Amino acid sequence: MTRQLHFGLAYHGVGGPGQYELWKNPEIEPDAGVRIEKYIEWAQLGEAAALDFFFIADSTFITPDSPPHYLNRLEPLTLLSAVAATTKRIGLVGTVSSSYNAPFNTARRFASLDQISRGRAGWNVVATGDPGTASNYGRERHFNHEERYGRALEHVTVAQQLWDSYEDDAFEYDVPNDRFFDRDKQHAIDHHGEHFSVGGALNVSRSPQGQPVIFQAGDSAEGRDFGAAVGEGFFTLAATLEQALAYATDLRERAATIGRDPSTLLFFPGISPVIADDDEAARAIERSRYKPADFDKRLGEFGRAFGWHDFRQYDLDAPFPELPHLDDSNQWRGARAIVQQAKATGATLRETVELASGFRPSAFVGSPATVADEIERWFVAGALDGAILLLNLPSELSAFTERVLPLLRERGLFREQYESTTLRGHLGLPVPANRYTSVAV
Amino acid sequence: MTQRQIKFGAVPTGVGGPGAHGVWLEPEIPGDASVDIQWYIAIARQAEAAKFDHIFIVDSQFITPDSPPHYLNRLEPLTLLSALAVTTEHIGLVATLSTTYHAPFSVARRFASLDLISKGRAGWNVVTTGDEGTAGNFGLEAHPEHPDRYARALEHVRVVQALWDSYEDDAFPRDREAGVFLDPSKLHKLNHEGTYFSVTGPLNLQRSPQGQPVIFQAGDSEWGRDLGAEIGDAIFTHQPTLEGAKAFYSEIKTRAIDKGRDPDQVLIVPGVSVVVGDTDEHARELEAEINRKNTDFGRSLAQFGRIFGWHDFSQYDLDAPFPELPGTNGSFKTQGDSIVALARDNGLSLRETVTRVTTPAPGVFVGSAQTVADTLALWFTERAVDGFNIHVRTPSEFARFTDEVLPILRARGLAREEYEATTLRGNLGLEIPQNRHTAARLEPVGVSV
Repeated sequence: MTRQLHFGLAYHGVGGPGQYELWKNPEIEPDAGVRIEKYIEWAQLGEAAALDFFFIADSTFITPDSPPHYLNRLEPLTLLSAVAATTKRIGLVGTVSSSYNAPFNTARRFASLDQISRGRAGWNVVATGDPGTASNYGRERHFNHEERYGRALEHVTVAQQLWDSYEDDAFEYDVPNDRFFDRDKQHAIDHHGEHFSVGGALNVSRSPQGQPVIFQAGDSAEGRDFGAAVGEGFFTLAATLEQALAYATDLRERAATIGRDPSTLLFFPGISPVIADDDEAARAIERSRYKPADFDKRLGEFGRAFGWHDFRQYDLDAPFPELPHLDDSNQWRGARAIVQQAKATGATLRETVELASGFRPSAFVGSPATVADEIERWFVAGALDGAILLLNLPSELSAFTERVLPLLRERGLFREQYESTTLRGHLGLPVPANRYTSVAV
Repeated sequence: MTQRQIKFGAVPTGVGGPGAHGVWLEPEIPGDASVDIQWYIAIARQAEAAKFDHIFIVDSQFITPDSPPHYLNRLEPLTLLSALAVTTEHIGLVATLSTTYHAPFSVARRFASLDLISKGRAGWNVVTTGDEGTAGNFGLEAHPEHPDRYARALEHVRVVQALWDSYEDDAFPRDREAGVFLDPSKLHKLNHEGTYFSVTGPLNLQRSPQGQPVIFQAGDSEWGRDLGAEIGDAIFTHQPTLEGAKAFYSEIKTRAIDKGRDPDQVLIVPGVSVVVGDTDEHARELEAEINRKNTDFGRSLAQFGRIFGWHDFSQYDLDAPFPELPGTNGSFKTQGDSIVALARDNGLSLRETVTRVTTPAPGVFVGSAQTVADTLALWFTERAVDGFNIHVRTPSEFARFTDEVLPILRARGLAREEYEATTLRGNLGLEIPQNRHTAARLEPVGVSV
């Protein structure tokens, strides 16, 4: 089969970062973050278009300055289970932090979702950005960058071992001989590592797709090594084809270096297509949709990268303030990059906030043909294998599914209908052999 | 509500829990029942059609090859119940989760999420975990000691309940014209610094129509009873005799009163097995047949070890006196101590002890539909219980209960005809807890969080 595009569909309820005005839109229910019906409806729209997966982002620390959706939203795995029971084909990808959960629980909850959905689960592994999360889990400080990725890698590999606890033919259900299962095909893992000790066995058998699919998002050197080691789907935020291609190429090379087949790494930039009859009209809509929240809200949210530092205390028009707290560990890498840029350009605090929350034209804006062309151009270049659609309004989604997808289908780049029942099947990823079975053979 | 009515829960155990080796052999039980969501949905709908208050999911997080069939391979309680939440409309959804091996923030969030998905039907069965081996799955060298586990449980539940009150009920004006999504004065941090947990909060979820999930508690030790009287909205217990059940009932209610609680807001709901036959004799034959299928000395011996931390009893001479055992920290301690005492006091061999402990006594709720209804009604009116958690063995046996026994109780006004409410609290007759911050605002007398 020729290489095909894959699409995920994200859900941001009443509005994620920077989307302070979304909840006022009459197309959005004001309690869309906690109404399971809205999540189900969105996933079903994705399923009607034969999209590969429904994608749920997450965080577990809020302040009054957090984006509306973050303030009050359903927990990813409980909500995806409800979606599993009300859909049949679409994949279900949930975000769970490897820093603040026990591997046994993570493995069990995803295995359970994978069974409930008959092989449609995916885990978006995040190491958790908000340092404040530490205080919700009884830690004095957030894990630093190396610790977070060290834990992430060990956490995922332990979960994957636990998922293999039962070989696929462990359960015999042999009534005449009164043999429920073959006890030799249950395996304790006896893992004793740097960050985790887990005995096992896990008390859930494997689903039709073998193991949930591992998604990852992370751009630092440690994040890239982690992704190259275990990632199968990559949620990226590339602004240009060149950036996206450089990222994908780097990850494929890192994966090849450690013996992985680079074609089993799939790259999904998050995109927000704006579609109109012609390019000019689409660009005009894109520009008109950019309604920055009042400066005070943007200033509040700007603090998130700095551990929710309160920037309201400074003179907005003075040079960017000194922030001594960024020196005490390397967890502030992203924040320090912002400071360095401000220092280099002599930008004030106001200018820096404006730049961070300013209007950025997207590549995926135009007539249906223009958007389809752009996706195809990135796809052919190897800069993407598909995309995660960051859309909020039903009208935005239908414009994409009803006007762009048909063009991609005509070109043989996207499926007419589902050809598989599992997420691995949709993505063309192999079912991982059970490690204990392979050893025995 | 005019007349006091019996509360009913359904406890599905798929291919068979402890001592039920024979369940999966029944033709109507699919081999993969415990991991098939459709099987749970069918049971939940069957219970909902019979106006049951709730479905109750038991749990454990440590297995060996000797674990009961259902334990070997089953769905995780909260993911399972979320799927039930969108395929049922009225029935309460109660999940077991351990306070020893989960962080309060995660527990609070997952139950709050289930509570919103189900529109106020969630319940949490608080356990401290019996299997000592669980420690090995969570990176601990040893399972915490009994008193330590219960002190931890109390703090855990208090933290979770405080997190559930992070948002006052009117915290989200969502006023498009005024442009006000959140009223930040109604979002409250917790800043808890306790013996076992430090949690800043706030939780990132609002309250459901029932205010907070219902707290179930199971645990018959002294510490367990004290915890139940302190925090339980409902107590899950096992009481084999009417006299024992009455004593337990009055003890818990008295303890609750001593703690300043309304005893009617603590429901006693033991787990029971019911066998309904055409006649009393027929029911006893059915019971004997069930027990016969469940009896296999080798498996009984292996599972007997679970009470003692999965101690391997196959190493001993079965016909020698009951062996000396190393100590155990498991929650099965109460049960373990009483078994050792039984063996010592009666000079029993290991074989005799295992046989006596694993051979079921004749059931109390076994008989014709009329007999079972009479016995349930007697326990209820004698104030031995407020309701029953019915073990569901097979769908057809459960149907005999719902179709033959319940109508008799309904005719006497002892079981509901229709759901009274849309929430679990509403159906159980439990009050909606007022948000503590709202309460403090209304009555500003130095209430601390």
